Amino acid sequence: MRNFEDDPTLNDLLSAEQLSRLNQCLSALCSEPVTLAQARPDTDAMPVEFNLETVGWLTGGASTDERQAASDLVSFLMMFIAKYRLAANLHHDTTEASYAELQRQNDALRASEARYRELSEQLQQRVDEQVSVIKQTQQELYESARLRSVGQLAAGVAHEINNPIGFISSNLRVARDYVKELGELLPEDAANQELLEDFNDLLNESVDGAKRIASIVSDLKTFSSIDQADYTRCNINQLLTSAIHLVQTEYQHQLDILERLEELPEISGHPSRLSQTFFNLLDNAAQAIRDAEPEKGAGRILVKTRVHDNAIEILIQDNGCGIPEDDRPRIFDAFFTSRPVGSGTGLGLTVARDTARAHGGQLQLDSREGTGTRVLMSLPIT
Amino acid sequence: MPDFSPDDNKLALKVVFYGPALSGKTTNLMQLHTLLNPERKGELMVLETRDDRTLFFDMLPIGLRGSSGLDLRLKLYTVPGQVQHDSTRKAVLSRADGVVFVADSQPSQQDNNAIAFGNLEENLEKVGLDIDTLPMVVQFNKRDIPGVVPEEELQTTWAGTPWSPLVMASALRGDGVLETFRILLDRLYTIVDDEFHLDADHGISRQAFVDRLSRSNEAEARRA
Repeated sequence: MRNFEDDPTLNDLLSAEQLSRLNQCLSALCSEPVTLAQARPDTDAMPVEFNLETVGWLTGGASTDERQAASDLVSFLMMFIAKYRLAANLHHDTTEASYAELQRQNDALRASEARYRELSEQLQQRVDEQVSVIKQTQQELYESARLRSVGQLAAGVAHEINNPIGFISSNLRVARDYVKELGELLPEDAANQELLEDFNDLLNESVDGAKRIASIVSDLKTFSSIDQADYTRCNINQLLTSAIHLVQTEYQHQLDILERLEELPEISGHPSRLSQTFFNLLDNAAQAIRDAEPEKGAGRILVKTRVHDNAIEILIQDNGCGIPEDDRPRIFDAFFTSRPVGSGTGLGLTVARDTARAHGGQLQLDSREGTGTRVLMSLPIT
Repeated sequence: MPDFSPDDNKLALKVVFYGPALSGKTTNLMQLHTLLNPERKGELMVLETRDDRTLFFDMLPIGLRGSSGLDLRLKLYTVPGQVQHDSTRKAVLSRADGVVFVADSQPSQQDNNAIAFGNLEENLEKVGLDIDTLPMVVQFNKRDIPGVVPEEELQTTWAGTPWSPLVMASALRGDGVLETFRILLDRLYTIVDDEFHLDADHGISRQAFVDRLSRSNEAEARRA
């Protein structure tokens, strides 16, 4: 690129047309025609200097004096042409430089604008994420508060029932003895015998019923664990058994639940949350069986525990309806449920996974639609 | 940077007179045009002005020939001092080999001196030059005006800089203009000789470089 300050050549300063016109004018002034050209001719020529630079050569003219005079005139003209040219070139250079600078600034501005836009989008996204976390936490809090109050109620009821059911069963047993004694005093005829046997059966059934009430109360107490708000030593098998009983009660003892519980060490845990989790998982399994196609045959739930790799593994497996593939990615999402509105909170598996994590363990779920579901929960032995 | 064309054996150097508006840059150049009588001297080109203020630049070419036939040219430029002509200043400053900073000695102009000096520093950086290595002379002009900042005070302020001592001048009267120019030539020679071996290859010693380029009419007159 040429700089504005580079020494100009004759052809830079004058166009061919202008040069030929200048030559005509000069020739008209001189007594013999003269020619100005940029290239040095072979013949006798006079240099035309401008700013220490030879810009052209002058030939022709009648004498050296005439050539000299013409050359001086051209030099004088050159100064004004060059002045204009220099100013114009400088102006051109500075305008281009300013434009380039403006463009650079414009680009920088655009880049920074894009950066800010991106930042603002990220910010919006983060806000959205935070909002959804807050929403979820709020919902969980609400759910857990509800569960807690239901648990408290259950524990209170259980405690209140525990006393009367205690004296009812003991009284019934004493009553059974009295009936035996009374029977010995009665005359032995067929009518009396029948009455006595019937009375005995009534009492036996009542004792059984009272025993069942006592067992439900005990399960309720374990389940709510209202007296164990914090982490304590937990017997996983015991918690599981209680949960199984509760589910059985819920389903009128119609479930075929196969228990294969191995001897387990006690671990540190939150009994009510673990019970809630087991109940949720078993309830899911029971519903899956109920929802399965009738021609699949009898539904069955397998509950297995074992010690493996310094962890307790709890397996709850059913041969029910399974989970459709489309739903699988979302099953752990809070409030996701495939059940009709009002029948499920959509928190069961969420709470189950959170509980497993809170205990330093994990929850793994495999399912195939129409075949069944298998949930494996592992809790580290602590 | 010096512009050397080996084909023509021609070396072109560029010196720029920089400084705040109305500090006397053009006056310096006009005085040099009057006072200097070097071997070769071109026309002083004073480009477009408005109210006697420089719009583009002024230019004075001078030159000498070395024993090797080296055609050494020195082009002296001024820049417009007014703030709004910054892009012109930058364009003229690019590829400069030396700078004369013409400051105004009047107390009211000290802020403008500082601003202009800062602008010089900034523009040198933008055109890829380093103020610390560029040959430069700082001249305080207008010493003829009454009430100027005393020389002692100025010298003390600038004592710690590479441009001390300052040159005091009255360009209007022609005082200090040649002195400023000679000091610049001396500093310029160091850089140019380093790169182009003026003494070894072209027979131009430091003394010859300074004397022959700054030969004045007065000196001629004295010699005669």
